Amino acid sequence: MIRSFRPDAGAKLAGTAGFGYDLDRPGMRFGALVLAARAHGRLDSVDLAPARALPGVVAIAADDLSTLLDGAHGDPERPPFASREVMYDGQPIAAVAAPTLAGARAAAAAVVATLAPLPVVADLESVFPEWPEAPIASSAPIAAHVHARRGDVDRALREAATVVRGTYRTSGVHQVALEPHACLAEVRDGLWHVTTSTQSPFGVREDVAGILGIPERSIVVDGTWVGGGFGGKGASLVEPYALLLARAAGAPVRLALTYREAFRLGRTTLPSVVRMETGVTDGAIVARRVRLLLDVGTSLPGRDFATGYAIGFLLGPYRTPAFEVEGYAVRTHKPPFGPHRAPYAPQAAFVVESHLNEVARAIGEDPAAFRARHVLAEGDRTALGQEVSAFGLSEVLRRATAVRDAWRRDAGPGRGVGLGLGFWATNTGAGGEARVLLSPTGLEIVQGEREIGSGSVAVGLVAAAERSTGLPRDAIRVTYRDTSAAPFDAGVFGSRTVGALGQAVDAACRAALAALGDRLGGAGELRLELEGDEVVAIRGTARRPVRSLLTPEERRDGGLAADGRHTGAPRTIDESLVVEGGFYPYQDFTGAAHVAEVDVDRETGAVRVVRYAAFHDVGVVVDRPTATAQIEGGIVMGLGAALTEESIWSDDGRLLNPGLLDYRIPTLGEVPPIDVTFVEGFAGAGPFGAKGLGEPPIIPVPATIAAAIRDATGVSLTELPFTPERVARALKRA
Amino acid sequence: MTGDGARITVNGRTAPITEVPGDERLLDTVRWRLGLKGTKEGCRTGECGACTVLIDGQTALSCLTLTREIEGRAVTTIEGIPDAPFGRAVLDAFAEAGAFQCGYCTPGFVVALAGLLREEGRSAPLRQLLEELGANLCRCTGYAAIARAVELARARGP
Repeated sequence: MIRSFRPDAGAKLAGTAGFGYDLDRPGMRFGALVLAARAHGRLDSVDLAPARALPGVVAIAADDLSTLLDGAHGDPERPPFASREVMYDGQPIAAVAAPTLAGARAAAAAVVATLAPLPVVADLESVFPEWPEAPIASSAPIAAHVHARRGDVDRALREAATVVRGTYRTSGVHQVALEPHACLAEVRDGLWHVTTSTQSPFGVREDVAGILGIPERSIVVDGTWVGGGFGGKGASLVEPYALLLARAAGAPVRLALTYREAFRLGRTTLPSVVRMETGVTDGAIVARRVRLLLDVGTSLPGRDFATGYAIGFLLGPYRTPAFEVEGYAVRTHKPPFGPHRAPYAPQAAFVVESHLNEVARAIGEDPAAFRARHVLAEGDRTALGQEVSAFGLSEVLRRATAVRDAWRRDAGPGRGVGLGLGFWATNTGAGGEARVLLSPTGLEIVQGEREIGSGSVAVGLVAAAERSTGLPRDAIRVTYRDTSAAPFDAGVFGSRTVGALGQAVDAACRAALAALGDRLGGAGELRLELEGDEVVAIRGTARRPVRSLLTPEERRDGGLAADGRHTGAPRTIDESLVVEGGFYPYQDFTGAAHVAEVDVDRETGAVRVVRYAAFHDVGVVVDRPTATAQIEGGIVMGLGAALTEESIWSDDGRLLNPGLLDYRIPTLGEVPPIDVTFVEGFAGAGPFGAKGLGEPPIIPVPATIAAAIRDATGVSLTELPFTPERVARALKRA
Repeated sequence: MTGDGARITVNGRTAPITEVPGDERLLDTVRWRLGLKGTKEGCRTGECGACTVLIDGQTALSCLTLTREIEGRAVTTIEGIPDAPFGRAVLDAFAEAGAFQCGYCTPGFVVALAGLLREEGRSAPLRQLLEELGANLCRCTGYAAIARAVELARARGP
């Protein structure tokens, strides 16, 4: 009998947990994509005949869509296949299916695409060599422009006693889920079925409907265990192709990406350049100006919110009287920008924190002390005018500062200790419905969402039900259903699961208890207990087995069913400050302060992280071991983004490092000991005051490492990641 | 490309496999011919460690092993780990430490650690075990819980 705080331990350790990659059906065909081998080109022809001549092969491209979809048309802005023009290296131009995987790969290789080269825009800055001094031309490839301001910033900066300016560059980083995207599709009984490794079954349903132009009611999405998501599996990627192939083949089709393909198809954080200016008078920030160029690749419609979110994080969690922010989402010949754990927030925190460290130094103040006088707290207003809800940032800062000072006292030569802050705004999104079924022997939580690894579903929702009902976790289980049978939800992303779905589970449990209470009588709080195998309802002196409180219909249907729904708190920004584009209010304010000690090799520029401490404002700890694991994992992912991870594109737009040897993620031997501290008491909007925790841990990491390197060497790095080459070059220049 | 059979033992049972092409990888043999999907397919290029199995007790990457290369040898996959030396200890340690999140790298880690402990013994320094496990990648845990599991498993013995 396996003992673990993780209810998914048994299946995952036995190897019986079925992931998308493991999907299999009798008569199944293997699918493969044909990806464009040029970042920008005119697609003169796609010849499928050589592939179709191979045994058992079906091959499809843009011209086949109308037939396969019975004349339906999907969203013209997101065609599944390139038809006339290829917009990024790796864009799908055809798909094939064959009885074996080797057969599918051979068929994909047999497709002949004629692709005439067109000029490639790969580098963000090459588009605007004069930026930010010269205005951006209206003919520029801009997907979105966002702009907001308050006060007379020009004047405030002119009159400020000290003005500090800096330019920062951030790199593209990839999610690198250990399991690349994989699904299995079947078309039967007039329904389009797809089973997939996804963070959002309902999101996939909506996406597939939009891309293929078929109604949501004809699409059924089921989930599998998910081998890592990190934002990359929040929208559809392989599913439309697998469905089209299944239709063409008249058989189930499995489509699983290789690592190389997952890297090339992207949907992740892309590079940015940021210019920051801050004016200070008498030790106080009087004005800030922030300008951003954000690469959004082949921007997809509906994704332009990325710029508004990015700009919001660039303002940082600081009181700012006058400001101007302006961001451009720039189209390049790269795959579309997509969410990567805390989209752009670690990059933004690196820029803001590094810049404010320079500001503090310019006025001769300790950066932590400078921050302590400026961080937002409950009741303040953000730069964009949103009232700040409970926010523990000053408390985590205070505690982290004490650790920084203690570590500095005993850091040896070549060592440095740095501190960085991060903040996150849980995005609760649409939906958040839960159903519970209370039976005589336990409680079942019915879900469409799958456990993606964080524990937010398998542990978080169970812990929420435990708190709501009093039942022990052994008596509570999550049952997974497809989109035709599950309550609606937006997806497991945005650090929203425990906050939004957990609140829905809590509400559903309360509804179930209320229904029982009416039957039990008595007064006061009703709780459930497990007595042997029996669930017992208790209120005051009244005590009865749930079995005896159920109606005959409920007993027949497996228990008393109750529904709950998440209701977000209304949040607004001051729209009068917005000049153009979308800026967004935050559901919650979640703060974190990290401290790192690093050892820098001045010869090679290699940075080793010696030890690490993290302080997190979490509202309330819902499950301590799972929360700790979430923070440890986020920090190490952040160390990758800080030190080694960087997607590199050639001038002609080809991704040069689509594999793990050249895109280095952290390995076991190189991670530091991590000390995690939870700060409770600043209640969030989630159940019992919980705040989201999936994303906050990654956010302060690059900023913290940069500060530690600065402390060790006196050199301020302005470009992510801090590879040995970049650090060595900066040390030579200094 | 059609080849001969390859007689291998998988988890203690002879696996009669016929017509194995010379370029078939052990990873595909166990997953698709034998249906043992606990061995995970990751990069297929030897960089991630998710497909780790034991061959005659020693850790090996099944994605870089040709099935016909190991004619006559014994393969242990995650499904056979409970009966392998150190198998139970490693499984219990991973469960107790919660040394997994998404679970995709987990079978590879479990198999690799059981193999390492059998080879190096419980007296191997922790640092060495952790370094040798560096060939297995995990993207979720940050390795902290995995390091705790290694300590627990080593303390428990076979």
